[in-house]
Amino acid sequence: MKQLVAYLTTAYPDTQFTVDAILALKEAGVDKIELGIPFSDPVADGAVIQKANLLALQNGFRLKDVFDVSKAISGIDIYLMGYFNNFYHKGYEYMVSQAKQHHIKGFIIPDLPYEEAVAYADLFPLISFVAPTDSKQRIQTILQNAQEFIYLVAYAGITGSNKEEDLTEVISHIREASDTPLFIGFGVNAQTAKQKAKNVDGVIVGSAFIQILLSDDSYTTKIKKLQDLASSIKQSIN
Amino acid sequence: MYIPKKIYDPDNNGHFDKFGGRYVPETLMPVLLELDEAYQKVRFDEEFWREVDYYFKQYIGRPSPLYFAKNISDELNAKIYLKREDLNHTGAHKVNNTIAQCLLAKKMGKTKVIAETGAGQHGVATATAAALFGLECDVFMGAKDVKRQELNVFRMKLLGARVHAVESGSKTLKDAMNDAIRYWVTNARDTYYVIGTVAGPHPYPMMVRDFQAIIGWEAREQILQAENKLPNKVIAAIGGGSNAIGIFSHFLEDKEVECIGIEAGGKGLDTDFHGASLQKGSPGVLHGQMSYLLQDEDGQIQEAYSISAGLDYPGIGPEHAFHFENKSVKYDTITDKEALDAFVWLSQKEGIIPAFESSHAIAYLKKTQITPNEIIIVNLSGRGDKDMIQAKDILKFD
Repeated sequence: MKQLVAYLTTAYPDTQFTVDAILALKEAGVDKIELGIPFSDPVADGAVIQKANLLALQNGFRLKDVFDVSKAISGIDIYLMGYFNNFYHKGYEYMVSQAKQHHIKGFIIPDLPYEEAVAYADLFPLISFVAPTDSKQRIQTILQNAQEFIYLVAYAGITGSNKEEDLTEVISHIREASDTPLFIGFGVNAQTAKQKAKNVDGVIVGSAFIQILLSDDSYTTKIKKLQDLASSIKQSIN
Repeated sequence: MYIPKKIYDPDNNGHFDKFGGRYVPETLMPVLLELDEAYQKVRFDEEFWREVDYYFKQYIGRPSPLYFAKNISDELNAKIYLKREDLNHTGAHKVNNTIAQCLLAKKMGKTKVIAETGAGQHGVATATAAALFGLECDVFMGAKDVKRQELNVFRMKLLGARVHAVESGSKTLKDAMNDAIRYWVTNARDTYYVIGTVAGPHPYPMMVRDFQAIIGWEAREQILQAENKLPNKVIAAIGGGSNAIGIFSHFLEDKEVECIGIEAGGKGLDTDFHGASLQKGSPGVLHGQMSYLLQDEDGQIQEAYSISAGLDYPGIGPEHAFHFENKSVKYDTITDKEALDAFVWLSQKEGIIPAFESSHAIAYLKKTQITPNEIIIVNLSGRGDKDMIQAKDILKFD
């Protein structure tokens, strides 16, 4: 069965909503949660996630909120996603110890490429990113010690675009280099999920969920819409 | 002919000790490795530098004079020399870097360039080089700055560039750089990013330093010719830090020369309105590099402030962070008010109108302890034309 990973911006609109949304998504068949730390300068993100980050910060998000959320959740794997500065400034080892205490399974840090990640790789599982611009040789290097799952970026770009690229070659290079499960993210939504899930073990969906969070719908409607989207994507990829 | 020298070079992954590096999305890593390789090929290549030299001399008008400023020298009882980067084509030091980077881009077979800009000086310098070398040019500029710097926006458009007003975040330089990076990730395969200062992921801090170090290379020869000895002090203003590294680097190995970098003190370091990343910030990662940043307890980046749009940036080039901790350069700050006073002072004493950025370096002449007859070089990184409208509103001479 192919897996569905859901990204949520923590504390948008507030931490209680994040907790409720995770529980609801779990019910709807989501396998893993990518719990996002809102950052002032999210350079890998498109307009939708940028907006949620900004609003969460304006609503008073503090870093400890991500641990409060994870404390309230059980029965689903949680990965902490954030830009490196939040980890570094707070102290990477402190973040690792907090993460371990709160049963977080790994870190997803999009601006910490292999060369910079080496220094931290032994402390805690760090998800490896592969991009379609990577050569076969580079893929072999960066996936040497891939842990948990591999995050394949679906196109050269930022989250939530409608771009498409032929990934046949890059996927075969990844499969040659590693047996770690391969998930694809960026631009995955109800329309694209089936196509993007081809030849990989799961999909990561972010902007499509956040779009729902940014709407004017009521709290309960939003939760319902998140669940509908999750179950329809889960079905379409399997 | 100028060819760069290895002075405080970073390691192979761009680390100046713990600073620098490459903190970018994986999509950009192959692009940065390609750039590093392309630059290493030409870094000490005479043919490449002969071409750069041609444009430096014939197009920019180098070497820029090292002018002995007699009137302020008499007033301060010192020998003050101004390195006249303000006399360069397009009015600032920025063009040294854009000419060399666009030549490299062309050599790499790229046809499109992008740039971020604050006040618009780097945007204009990039648009200029792009026009000269027949490259397509897109410039990212914070929406606030687009309004503040209307004339530079028009200059860029006149030169054939497209200007993108960036509406995200604080709508200033930091956000312009975020959007330039996003555009670059999206168009990674055919677009060359002309970064305007000694910041960003490796190899930019080293490469831009090499391109700007022509300033210090010339100044060293010029001061030896004029005084037959090295200066006591070399002073330069710092936003990202390219004019400062540019003039410092050829003096850094001379222990008798004190290099002093001036950050924007804004409304004072005891307020939240300044751009003093070294004095008031802490180490962190932004825009692809580790350096000193203005940030809160959780590592969220804070907004910088300065009267000068070119110094209005919450970070600083990683090599400066290194020199700060290594104590190989001294760093201090100058407030808006001190800079504005110096802006008027230099205009009326020497008939030279400095840019607001350079006014910070000039102002330090009145703040530093001067031993009689000591020799001081100030990098006059740009001319004040772009600041006329803002100055007119503040100074109210009518």
